[in-house]
Amino acid sequence: MRTLLLITIAAVLTASTSFAHHSFAATYETGKSITLEGSIVQFVYRNPHSFVHIDAPDASGVSQRWAIEWGGTTQLAAAGVKRDSLKVGDKVVISGRPSRVPGEYRVLMINLTRPSDGFTWGRGTNEVVD
Amino acid sequence: MLLALAIATAVSFRVSAQGGGARPPDIAGEWRLDSNEDPGQPPLADYLGLALNEAGRLRADTTPESIWGTPEYQCRPHSAPHQWRGVGGARILKDLDPISREIVGYRVQFMRSLDRPIFVDGRPHPPAWAPHSWSGFSTGEWIGQTLKVTTTHLKDGYLRRGGPQTSDMLTMTEYITRHDDVLSILQVVDDPIYLDEPYVLSITYTYDPNAGPATENCSGSSFAENGGRDRHWVPHFLPGQNSGIGEFLKTQSWIPFEPIRGGVKTIYPEYRAVLAKSATVNTLTVPVSKTANDVARRIADQSPRDGQVHVMPVQGNVYILIADGTNITASVGRDGIAIVNTGSAQMTDKVLAALTELARSVVSPPATNTCFGANCPGMPSWSSPYFNAVVASPRPARPIRYIINTSAAPEHVGGNEKLAASANFRRAGGAGGFGSAVREIGTAATIVAHDGVLTAMSTPANRAAAAPEAAWPVDTFFDAFYKLSEYVNGEPVILYHAKAANTDGDSFVFFRHSEVIAAGNLFSTISYPLVDTTNGGTIQGVIDGLNEILDLSVAEYRSQGGTWIVPGRGRLSDTADVASYRNMLVMIRDRIRDLKKQGKTLEQVKAARPTLDFDGRYGATTGPWTTNMFIEAVYKTL
Repeated sequence: MRTLLLITIAAVLTASTSFAHHSFAATYETGKSITLEGSIVQFVYRNPHSFVHIDAPDASGVSQRWAIEWGGTTQLAAAGVKRDSLKVGDKVVISGRPSRVPGEYRVLMINLTRPSDGFTWGRGTNEVVD
Repeated sequence: MLLALAIATAVSFRVSAQGGGARPPDIAGEWRLDSNEDPGQPPLADYLGLALNEAGRLRADTTPESIWGTPEYQCRPHSAPHQWRGVGGARILKDLDPISREIVGYRVQFMRSLDRPIFVDGRPHPPAWAPHSWSGFSTGEWIGQTLKVTTTHLKDGYLRRGGPQTSDMLTMTEYITRHDDVLSILQVVDDPIYLDEPYVLSITYTYDPNAGPATENCSGSSFAENGGRDRHWVPHFLPGQNSGIGEFLKTQSWIPFEPIRGGVKTIYPEYRAVLAKSATVNTLTVPVSKTANDVARRIADQSPRDGQVHVMPVQGNVYILIADGTNITASVGRDGIAIVNTGSAQMTDKVLAALTELARSVVSPPATNTCFGANCPGMPSWSSPYFNAVVASPRPARPIRYIINTSAAPEHVGGNEKLAASANFRRAGGAGGFGSAVREIGTAATIVAHDGVLTAMSTPANRAAAAPEAAWPVDTFFDAFYKLSEYVNGEPVILYHAKAANTDGDSFVFFRHSEVIAAGNLFSTISYPLVDTTNGGTIQGVIDGLNEILDLSVAEYRSQGGTWIVPGRGRLSDTADVASYRNMLVMIRDRIRDLKKQGKTLEQVKAARPTLDFDGRYGATTGPWTTNMFIEAVYKTL
């Protein structure tokens, strides 16, 4: 029974990857990364993917609203990230893959750090957005 | 490519002949996707095996995957050609006639879909001006043991993931055959807008009672995905700037570059001569399959110039009259008639006849007497004295009460004078009563429009004489919007001014309870929008107007239906259709702006063909509004 349960969980996790309505590689430059430092303005904790919105400067120093695509609730909860783990106004440092579309302030999360308390995601086992 | 189709069909006929009229197999049930010829997530910009034409290649190159992140597309199902290939299985349900218990249709469900009906009751496909949907309109017929499904009225989408797109003029034919517990689907996608020959693909499913598709909920009401800073953001690549082209060859370097760009000459065995350097693509001859999809005719049929008036119900109180190439939107009910635009002058008699007939059928339809005795609604006293009024001579329909003009274009105001005069909408008090200063009260319908329409009709710039005064708007507005001062047929009617759009006086009209918007010239499903630069029109104004329509509109479910939008010309549409049109205009605007920024002259811009991937769908080389005129107008107003 235990084996069957594990297989079932594995199947659900695999399926949830396929359910994503867009392809990461088609949406983001998976060979590039950028680092943003800014303040959280919104945290949308939902499936299939969560989004962190921050105000942070772009390459030319102009402040922009960035949408950072993160894992779904199942994946994040398993890593200890809850709906209230991040709050509006938190200062964070985020590394991610930039959008392929010029002018689109959209990033795929690689890792996130909140320097004020050391909260971090993206450096542990399985902490890769799927 | 069509050889496989021919063989499949021939086999089906043979089975039929051998079966001697055997019942078709039962295809209902839960089906698990086994295999198909196309990976669900092919590499980015991999067009290998696709007969993309020049337009199809440009469209694929410039349309990014993040278009899914726009509010109007976040909840859309997979597009029809991809639906069978998506994960999650398929469920096929039978619809039975409750009396005969014959199968009258099937419904197919996928994980990310609305139900897809397939009618096998012999009904025809809808007219070309009917709306398109994500699953389209499908009819089926059994050919031996194979169900042949023909689908039209599809929305635009993608042929497969990673770039290649389809237009909304594609047709799809599927041959569904059950072999024991295996279901094979042979799919033929015929879209000459983007393909030089139909695309043929097979998919295999296995019967599995546990494979039923789940419902994938969508919480796409936010526009978070594209940054959340601009709900009107349209992601796209300028030509030549898609970073994904050729990217996957870095890990699969054995594949030559040329065939991954698609093209009919690269998908046949003859192409080996090119690889062997004994021929070039240009000199190659391949046995191209012909399309059976007469796109030009089907586009023209959306707005037929046949001298007739075609009536189609929309939603709530609202109907469309397709009147010889232009649309009239009509609210019809117990309060009377309110119409948006009046068609061309020569169609007025037919329009009036159609409206009168429509009003009669809506307000006083022939019906049996359904209430007897002394207490029937609407019959003060016993029912029998009123018998003839119910069954033989009901009250006449109410006349036209309001005429709203979305612009001063002749095809929108041509019937103003005659239709307004036809209305004798009496109000107590007569001409001498309150409001007598306004000439039309009690004697004619009220004509409402933005002040720019009145200016254009009363002081035209390029015409010898003004339109007759009786055709002019008598109730005009200057502000961003204008609410009719009273409900019409139980609902508010609001006019929104689209500033500096097609001209300086355009509006669109919102019927707020019926959830219908008459878009006027802002939106057409058969042409690029008119941008009359001599009368204050700009491309940005048109885009802004479309964005405002999108802001007011709400899709019913999965980015479909809900608020219906009546274009100035063409088929009935919804939010996703308007978004698609808006997206196209943004892409074209940005391309022309970029070329202009590079210092290109107008002629150089035209030579660069910035509208190439949309010309087959919306362009024209002759007539009053050609592609070159459109490009020039965009160029001038940027």
